[in-house]
Amino acid sequence: MLSVEAVSKRYGGGNWVLREVDLTVEPGAVVAVVGGNGSGKSTLLRLMVGVSRPTAGAINGRPDVVGYVPERFPPNERLSAVAYLGHLGRIRGMTTIEAADRAEELLERLDLQGGFDAQVRTLSKGNAQKVALAQALLVPPGLLVLDEPWSGLDSDAHGVLATIIAEVAAAGGAVVFTDHRESVTRANATRIHRIHDGRIAEATPPGRAVVEVALTRSAEDTEDPGWDEVDGVLTAVTHQGQLFVRVDRDHSDALLTIALRHGWSVDSVTPEKAAP
Amino acid sequence: MIALVRYTLATTIHGQRYLAPVLLFFAGVGISAGSDSGPLPGVYALNAGILLVCVTWVTMAVISVEDPTHRAITVVAARGPVKVLAAAIVVSALLAVGLTIIGLGLPLAMHPRPVTAADLPAGALAHLLCAAFGLAFGLVCSRLVIRRQGYALLAALFLVTAALLTTGSPPNTLFKRMANTSNAADILPTAAALLPLGLAVLALAAALTHIVSVRRD
Repeated sequence: MLSVEAVSKRYGGGNWVLREVDLTVEPGAVVAVVGGNGSGKSTLLRLMVGVSRPTAGAINGRPDVVGYVPERFPPNERLSAVAYLGHLGRIRGMTTIEAADRAEELLERLDLQGGFDAQVRTLSKGNAQKVALAQALLVPPGLLVLDEPWSGLDSDAHGVLATIIAEVAAAGGAVVFTDHRESVTRANATRIHRIHDGRIAEATPPGRAVVEVALTRSAEDTEDPGWDEVDGVLTAVTHQGQLFVRVDRDHSDALLTIALRHGWSVDSVTPEKAAP
Repeated sequence: MIALVRYTLATTIHGQRYLAPVLLFFAGVGISAGSDSGPLPGVYALNAGILLVCVTWVTMAVISVEDPTHRAITVVAARGPVKVLAAAIVVSALLAVGLTIIGLGLPLAMHPRPVTAADLPAGALAHLLCAAFGLAFGLVCSRLVIRRQGYALLAALFLVTAALLTTGSPPNTLFKRMANTSNAADILPTAAALLPLGLAVLALAAALTHIVSVRRD
């Protein structure tokens, strides 16, 4: 379990960026860190992944495999997306073939536009961000840290990212991300920490009710309405022929109507337990 | 580690920043290896001096080709900054060895001259000593230690000039002896004795770079 204990940080003799921050992230948790510009969010994430060292305090229990997605993927990468991911995969101990297969799988899933073989610097900001996301997922991470991962991504990728976060957490990985939009953090996090002036506040539950709807195709002519686009849908994952849609309680009735109208059969509707 | 070296080599080659120092080396060696340049030890001494300047530059180029954010991703993937720095040193050293071969071979290829059995080993030792110093200077003047490029350039110029021109510095000592002899066998013991000193300076510079870069982050 990753624990940040009484961590303070300042650069050189400058002002304190973080002061006495305590935070634990247990496996399977999805923690959002919210705060204004310059509040110390990014510094906290850099400390968590081990790129930066605390001035005082300690960080313990960092898992072996850490995925880190920085806020902005540098625009000067001359390698192609596939070549870059191949190198990063090998650095993480994969074989060339494993890395190439995994890279292709992730880029297809994230729907990278602009060419897998094009230099990363020629890609748009959102597509470069997808490459950054893919490198963090090459090996399933025990800790996934994302700095404003939604910025620059298109709406299709928003849904995929939400699903990926849910999958990493379901596989026992801890996820920490930042975002400044309340709607995004509420939809994805099991716990929200507010950071202000370098100090972190006690966690608040996201305060939402979520239900999980299990659906199956009832007939040949069942249509896919584009689940990620439906209002209130957090994630939509197919598992062993069943489709599991996590949806905001406020929108679940509308979702059921859409499902039935498109020929789906409802197997179950389960309220998700509120986060601890 | 091999994966990291391959990655660093790939980004270095794609980044093309290494080209300027490499071309400078070719130009310098081309001039020094010309027809009226005297006995081979003197030519090799000059080439080794040029190598020191170029390896300093190459090392700075290899390290700065990776943007700090990029480096952060690599450090996380490699589980620590030590290996990432080591890979940069290995790649710089590989380039330095390539330049050494050119520095030794080009004078022979361009102009036929008498070669004794001790010429090549003495020349190689002089080149390697300068490469070690160049690597060390490149590391402590890289972005990891000196953030501002202007200051880094001034510091590099100062270190390189001091190493080449100060009486008593290992490269300077070796150069003087090489320039004043026509028998390379005489200088072999000195060159062999100075190389460990160069490697020690390199090790010290690597440790310093690591400590400073970790404290900075």
